[in-house]
Amino acid sequence: MNSIKKVKRMYGAFTNAGIQDFIAYRASFVGFFLGEILICFVMYFIWKAVYASAGNSTFMGFSMVDMMVYIFLTNIAGFLTGTDSTYSIAEEIKDGSIIMRLIKPVKVDLSFLFFELGNKVMIISCVFIPVILGLEIYRYVMLGYVAFNPIRLILFMFSISISYLLAFYLNLIFGYLAFFLLNLWGFNILKESIIKFFSGAIIPLAFFPEVVRNIFEYLPFASLTYTPVMIYMEKYNGSTLLLNLGLQLLWLSFFIWLSKLIWKWAERRLAVQGG
Amino acid sequence: MRFLRLYKTFVKQHLKNLMEYRVDFLTGAMSFMINQVTNILFISIIFGQIPELAGWSYYEIIFIYGFSLLPKGLDHFTSDNLWKVAYFIVRKGDFDKYLTRPINPLVHVIIENFQFDALGEFVTGVVLFTYSSIKLGIYFTPLKILLLIIAVVFGMFIFTSIKIACAAIAFWVKRSGSILQVLYMSSDFARYPATIYSKGVRFVISYVIPFAFTSYYPASYFLRGGNPLYCIGGTVVISGVFMLVSILIWNRGIIAYESAGS
Repeated sequence: MNSIKKVKRMYGAFTNAGIQDFIAYRASFVGFFLGEILICFVMYFIWKAVYASAGNSTFMGFSMVDMMVYIFLTNIAGFLTGTDSTYSIAEEIKDGSIIMRLIKPVKVDLSFLFFELGNKVMIISCVFIPVILGLEIYRYVMLGYVAFNPIRLILFMFSISISYLLAFYLNLIFGYLAFFLLNLWGFNILKESIIKFFSGAIIPLAFFPEVVRNIFEYLPFASLTYTPVMIYMEKYNGSTLLLNLGLQLLWLSFFIWLSKLIWKWAERRLAVQGG
Repeated sequence: MRFLRLYKTFVKQHLKNLMEYRVDFLTGAMSFMINQVTNILFISIIFGQIPELAGWSYYEIIFIYGFSLLPKGLDHFTSDNLWKVAYFIVRKGDFDKYLTRPINPLVHVIIENFQFDALGEFVTGVVLFTYSSIKLGIYFTPLKILLLIIAVVFGMFIFTSIKIACAAIAFWVKRSGSILQVLYMSSDFARYPATIYSKGVRFVISYVIPFAFTSYYPASYFLRGGNPLYCIGGTVVISGVFMLVSILIWNRGIIAYESAGS
């Protein structure tokens, strides 16, 4: 109990700063969010045309309603697991301000993490809840019965928390690479589009040929958005569900370990000029 | 003439820059290319299951998609600096610089920076366009090539004019990056045939944010022999109107511009 209090006292300020930061930059967030929603609607129209052309109510095991839930949920999952840790740490390494974190009695990764937690609190209340509500209303109207399952929502939240931590440590590792890379912006777009593809954000992994799908499902990218979304949609059940949650935890511990390893090595090479 | 001389100097400066950061350029260009390739894979997987989408064949869809990247890539290459105006330059008061130079501020903003990363987008567009043209057996007469160039250049102006207008909003509200972001992302609607959208959406992307005129309409002239007066003439007229209005907004904005206090 005491240690929780201690963590709260030490890192609570970072979380508060994260909330303040979100409020300060809400305009750019709203712009980005609306843009993503627009792209969801592009996908909606494409899929509508696909279902009309296929002349079938299901397409590779997904109904049109499934598909809509999939598109919007994947997008929201992207917001929930999205992390700026690559940029934040890379910038602080470059301009040397990372020293302000090193001289404080806090862990570097945790201070970034708690800052982003503040951001996530805002995203859950301002974006996640309304979108889920909208989706469930859509499902109710289309299907004629309430398809919402609270247990699945809880499992989704659990799974997506792991996804977020996984994304955070994965991005932290990329941030450490700032030592070598200059065009971080281009590199980031490259990274994002690769992750988007392998995590099923563009095409559900279920649509790939079986061999490819089996490989993709075991890669860490599937743990990022595909697993939580499949859990919410009740596509993963019983042992498959447990297996995939286990896989998520496995990848998470691997990346935490790897990031610690790289940080140890990077810390030794870090030279801050002046200050 | 003076303008061309200036332009040459700016380009030269940038090429030097490019030579210095070669790896950066390659990562940037690659990233845009891969981004497009994943979308093409998406289309291919869909077409693995259905023979045609809303009456359009696989290669026709690829043709429209590739076409949409040509004006987009060109605009991205030439006027990327407008993003900076929308996000930082006005807010930080750095716009003063452009007002004190003996060049038109808008021209200066645009020629100051070239986004070589955009070549990734443009080259992907050229490849998809050429490949699907061959597969569809589209024959390009000299007249058609001329119309193609006109359509792509004026399509580019549609992108640029929307960016100018959005960036100019920053002169009043200090930061208009998010408005620009939303409008720019809505250009994704133009990658696919306008016929797949509902009537309302089709009206908006044709006449309000006319991205359909940067790809779908001109492409449909080459694909299905649509009325060139509407498909290509429409692009020219709309981009002319948009350019005029956005320059008016920009000039009004410059009058309203207040430098940062520091």
